[in-house]
Parts: sequence; structure tokens; C-alpha cells
Amino acid sequence: MNSLDAHAWLADHGDYLFRVARRQLHSDELAEDAVQETLLAALSAQARYAGDASPRTWLVAILKHKIVDCIRRQMRETSLPRDEDDAESVDLLFRQDGHWAEPVKSWGNPQADAERGQLRRALDECADRLKPLMAQVFSLREVAGMETEEICKELGITPTNCWVLLHRARLFMRECLTLNGFGGTSA
Amino acid sequence: MKWRVSCKESTELVSRAMDERLTFADRLAMRMHLAICRNCARFARQLQDMRRLFQAETAASEDAPGLSPDARQRIATELQKKLDP
Repeated sequence: MNSLDAHAWLADHGDYLFRVARRQLHSDELAEDAVQETLLAALSAQARYAGDASPRTWLVAILKHKIVDCIRRQMRETSLPRDEDDAESVDLLFRQDGHWAEPVKSWGNPQADAERGQLRRALDECADRLKPLMAQVFSLREVAGMETEEICKELGITPTNCWVLLHRARLFMRECLTLNGFGGTSA
Repeated sequence: MKWRVSCKESTELVSRAMDERLTFADRLAMRMHLAICRNCARFARQLQDMRRLFQAETAASEDAPGLSPDARQRIATELQKKLDP
């Protein structure tokens, strides 16, 4: 491999890597940094690239580590979302006796919805609206498909922390998607 | 976990079941609640829908914005710096 390759990686796979990173980090800036770190790391490690995977597969594998590194760094620099704040938001969704405050509306059949682009935008917008760390942990699980055990280990958080973040993210996501007319029907 | 759970508690079980295998007692409590509660049954279905959609959309998000020209330039410069120190 030569210097052409590094620039070719950026040209051929830069947008793809950015989209993958953007959907998990929920920030343009962090996603750009992750792409840059990935390509620089690929350049250092290119001797180890055996060429048995496609360049994109190899780059995405490096990117996955860079995304986790980035979230771990966020976790050290900012504190976890304040538990009480989110607990209050969760309490608003339920009555005192633990019943739903509002009936849960049907989403109809989102798989069959013709408006794929609209669905994707709603998903991304709602995820972007979560608090950054909550969004990032949620995306490691639901977008990247990592096991919770692995997420806790990689990020150095307790299973309880991890699970509370995921549960709240799901409650807030569902609420946001419903408010955004997800499914469209109120049957 | 007790046998009868509230909606709030049932959503916690439903969410946890997305990540790990529940104990027998928790699974039973969840299923009994979902069998009689339309709201929580919908909630459970929506979490599954959300997961399926996220996975489908991750595979096919070619129309999402890519790298900005500025970022692309910045990264190209960093790569070049590393190539000729």
C-alpha cells in the first residue's frame, strides 16, 4: 500500500464512515474526529492489513473501537446525566399509582410505512434530542448492536447505570416518536 | 419481583428483557401484565419495532449527509502530514 491508499480511503469511504459514526455519536464534530482517528490509525496499521477483508470492512472495524474510545472519553469529561432530572421526566409519563399517564397510542405498522426517509429522520432526530451520553449508550446497544455486558465493560459503568440509561432512553425515544406522528394512526 | 406489577414496573421488565434473559419470576410477572394491559403490550411492541427500524436504517442510510467539505479537507491535511513528516 502507498500514500495513495490513505487518500483513496478518505475519498471512497469517508462519507460512509462519517454516517456510521454520526449515528452513534450524535455530533458532527465527534463523528469527524472519529473518522480522522480511524484513517490515521489505519495508516499506522496498514502493514497489519492482510487484505483478506475489504478496505471498508477493515476501516469500519477500526472505527468501532474509535467510537467506543470517544464515548469513554465523554464519560470521563462530562458526568453521567443527573439521575434525579431524568427520574422526574420518567415520573411525568406515569401516574402516582404506576399507571400510564396517557394511553399508549398505536404506531400502526411502521415497517410497511412508505415514508422510509421520514421514519429515518424521525429516529435520528429523536435520538439526537436525548442527552448526549444517554444517546451514545443507547446507540451502542440499538444501532451498533453491542451486548449490554460489553458496553458496561468498555465504558466502565455498572450494569445498573447502563440499564437505567437504556430504559430511560427507550421511554423518551418512544414518547418522542409518538409525538412526531410515528405510525400515523391513533387506533 | 412480585407477581402483580404496575405499568411503570412492567416497562422496566420489558426494557430489561430487550437486553438480557429475565428470571422466571420476572418473565411470568411481565407476561401476566402484558396479557391484560393494552398500553404495555403496545409499549413492548414499539420497543421491538424501534430496534428493527434502527437496524434496517443503519444498513441503508445512504441519503444521510456525509462529510462536510471542510472536514474532508482537514482530514486530508492530517493524513498528508502523517505521510510526509
